[in-house]
Amino acid sequence: MKVRKVKAADIAVVVLVVAASVVTMVMIARARTGEKGSTAIIEVNGKESRRVELGQNQSRTRITLKGLHGTSTVEFYKGRVRMLKSTCRDKICIGMGWVDVPDESIVCLPNRVVIRVLGTGKNKVDAVTE
Amino acid sequence: METRRVTNLALLVSIGLVLSIIESAFPPLLPIPGAKLGLANIATVIALYLFGPAMALEVTIIRTILGGLLRGSVVGLFLSFSGGLVSTLVMIALYLLFKRYLSVIGVSVAGAVTHNVIQLAAAYLLIHQAAIFFYLPYLMLIAVPTGLFVGFASRRVTVSLEGLSLAAR
Repeated sequence: MKVRKVKAADIAVVVLVVAASVVTMVMIARARTGEKGSTAIIEVNGKESRRVELGQNQSRTRITLKGLHGTSTVEFYKGRVRMLKSTCRDKICIGMGWVDVPDESIVCLPNRVVIRVLGTGKNKVDAVTE
Repeated sequence: METRRVTNLALLVSIGLVLSIIESAFPPLLPIPGAKLGLANIATVIALYLFGPAMALEVTIIRTILGGLLRGSVVGLFLSFSGGLVSTLVMIALYLLFKRYLSVIGVSVAGAVTHNVIQLAAAYLLIHQAAIFFYLPYLMLIAVPTGLFVGFASRRVTVSLEGLSLAAR
């Protein structure tokens, strides 16, 4: 009977599919690391206080906000954000350094200041069901 | 002859429906949406190998529409119909073009991959979230074992049924 044997092309199909999935996996991994945030949201005490567009040709700008325990200075430069100065005790927020990838954030708990980076809005899915 | 054909078609459609009911009783294999065993595809593959392309196409169309209505989900109907239709067309094309080099196994794997890819594309048309393509490589990869399983199961059935006059067109 003809159907009984596994033929060479069957193996070729399997190899091709595995190769294609590995290639797309690599492509997606690359695309994701290249992704930059488009907007930064600054929240003070849980409420949105500022929204800043991020861009590659952004000049150095600083925003100073009043937090719970003093002031926080946020700096923007070339599409990246960092906490420049903060009156909080541990300075963990400053230690976070520059941030530019979507869904990354800088949190200063003592001062209740949160900086969140948003993407282009294309990857906000939590789950997909059938 | 016509009566026999209708009976066989009905039989294959019900096999497919029962298989998808059985499958839905199992917990999902992986936490990836759309990663299913695709047992119902056995009915299509059997139809293709025992009765030819026209039967395979009819079985898939009727099975996906009926299955969608039974589950009562329009979205599910759209996804399984588009995935089933395109994957059946691909399987038919491979079956007709590469019959000499490709057995049921390869055809089934190709069908499973196509089904998953098209279903993802159809899901994208519905929700317009490019992020779901993150699942593409995993869905393609998972289609290999599921396609192999469906292929071997179908081959077992076709080999047994081939000699029977039931298979007469």
